Amino acid sequence: MSNETATLSQTGDTRKAARIKRETVSTIAIAIICVLLLYLSRFISPALGSWSQVETVLILGSFLVVVAFGQGLVILTGGLDLSIPALITLGGVLSTAAVGAGNPDAWYLLPAALLACGFVGFLSAVGVVWLRVPPFIMTMATSIIVASAALGITKGTPRGYAPEAAVALMKSHILGLPSPIVFVICFVFLGWLLQERSPLGRYLYAIGTNPEASRIAGVPVTAMQIFPYVISAMCAGFAGFMLVGYSSGATLRMGDDYLLPSIAAVVIGGSSILGGQGSFLGTVGGAFLLTILGTMISAIGLEFGLRTIIEGTIILIALLLLREELFNRIRSIRRKA
Amino acid sequence: MTDLTQTATGTDAQPPQGRLAGQTFARVLQGGLIIVILYFALYALYFYQQPRALSAGSIAALMNNTVPLALAAAGQTFVIISRGFDLSVASVISVCNVVMAVYPLDGPGGAVMSVLMCVAIGGSVGAVNGFLVAYLRLQSIAATLATMIICQGVALVILNAPGGRVADWLSYELTDQLFKTIPISGLFVLAVVLGWLYLRRTSFGISLYAIGADEHAASLSGINVRKVRFFTFVSAGVLYGLAGFMLSAQTATGNPTSGTPLLLLSFAAVALGGTSLSGGKGSLFASVMGAATLMLLQKVLFSSGVSSFYTGVFQGCVLVIAVVFSGLIEKLGERAAKL
Repeated sequence: MSNETATLSQTGDTRKAARIKRETVSTIAIAIICVLLLYLSRFISPALGSWSQVETVLILGSFLVVVAFGQGLVILTGGLDLSIPALITLGGVLSTAAVGAGNPDAWYLLPAALLACGFVGFLSAVGVVWLRVPPFIMTMATSIIVASAALGITKGTPRGYAPEAAVALMKSHILGLPSPIVFVICFVFLGWLLQERSPLGRYLYAIGTNPEASRIAGVPVTAMQIFPYVISAMCAGFAGFMLVGYSSGATLRMGDDYLLPSIAAVVIGGSSILGGQGSFLGTVGGAFLLTILGTMISAIGLEFGLRTIIEGTIILIALLLLREELFNRIRSIRRKA
Repeated sequence: MTDLTQTATGTDAQPPQGRLAGQTFARVLQGGLIIVILYFALYALYFYQQPRALSAGSIAALMNNTVPLALAAAGQTFVIISRGFDLSVASVISVCNVVMAVYPLDGPGGAVMSVLMCVAIGGSVGAVNGFLVAYLRLQSIAATLATMIICQGVALVILNAPGGRVADWLSYELTDQLFKTIPISGLFVLAVVLGWLYLRRTSFGISLYAIGADEHAASLSGINVRKVRFFTFVSAGVLYGLAGFMLSAQTATGNPTSGTPLLLLSFAAVALGGTSLSGGKGSLFASVMGAATLMLLQKVLFSSGVSSFYTGVFQGCVLVIAVVFSGLIEKLGERAAKL
């Protein structure tokens, strides 16, 4: 880690230019890999590589994009959110149990469910910011607490039905496009505005790079440290709502498959797990890359274990290719020439 | 804690052995004192609820439950002291578990073979992690995430659904008691703790703390950071292998996801033991006690009549309180040292 800071201070003035270049390069690289993989998947099975597969990937990837946005913000400020699976479950359970249970007209219950998730995120942030518990431990603790509370309250089996709004979000069409695709495009645009083009986003980058310097520069550090956890928790809750609409019901393990991919999407997208570096578009690319790989690997018809091995290997290769050092080396070669 | 950072960052990379030996014991006590007190307080509560709690049988049962988590947390401690995270713990344990369930080797000879096999599996995954992190300079959490997913796949390929049967000799003997009092599984943990006390004094142990506290300073003072980091992951892997071995002896069956619950719990145990997640500080013994406390908490809650659904609520709260509390103690200690 001290090496990291050493490299940063060495590069000095060129840092901003280097950051933009590195992130743009990795985002474009991921986009190219995604398109290539979609095209190449034709050779695996004729059913793939078609528009309908693109649709499937976009719909299946939308859940991951939503949670990875929150995870990305938390990672940007130097934290990590392990409470995502529990909050997806909480969001799902609240939407089916409270909203869906014969209250289809009570529209205010959905924002209430999201607020409940946001409150849990706020509690995590309080632990991290004021009690100085490491983010890793704090979000793990809230995760364990929320998961076991959900288990206890539902007595092991969540009941209730998917609210109509969730079904409409996931299953209808807008202008001939499936509505989740329209939704995910809007979400990515808004997320990009927030993270890359708003003062708020710039504050988050500043905190992730150097909290002390940002405090001196007048950034509201405490508020900006709390904000990502609340957003991440609400995103996870909303992903739970989306999943409920997609699969018409909540289960207690519905979030489990999203923790590691949410981190993987952010890391593959070129963000540093230490904070201060990364771009939302890269994360979106990472999320779709993982989803494409998932659909391709399941189309090959391999057994689940082999699929998992391939998935892990690909993550490893992506990490090796996107290594910080590799970029530095390419840059220094160019400088010499 | 303050004298520790001084040792780690000081120019003197290898202080005289005698002084160090005296310090080591003090440090072990210091590092684990809070958690030991918490453990015995909790045990007193357990005894109050269940007078049978002090019988050899229930101590052994508790010990058998604790040992896999204790060993996993012990391995995790190595990596965390060196300022890293190791997610591969869960799937290394799963791989060892399914290997032992699919290829059971009976008798004492088979047990030796099995334990060697588990250690080899853990050690080689650790070597891969170490290579990725130390030599290819990947972020530890990302690299071990990838190896964790790969190993999970390997476990699923070997055994795709819960089943199989661990050798009878192992599951009977390793969960038994020596002379009807000492739980055999506990001896494994004792051996690991003693090994740690020895290792702590060696130059590897000192370097481990040094690279965790300040990697740059450590490399300036002549420590081969890459090599130390590599062997940190290998040692951790070996301990995960042992954890998988003991878990198999305890469950007597195979399950390709048997290690997954231990992932977060191993971090919880380390944090409960007061080891700082930002590296350079901590004690393996305290992590073992942290693991023991987490498992004892489950028993206490169960005997208090709390529905097992809510165990997590208590585990989470205890975790946060312990971390906040040990942070406070550390801060008070630092203030006292300054005066």
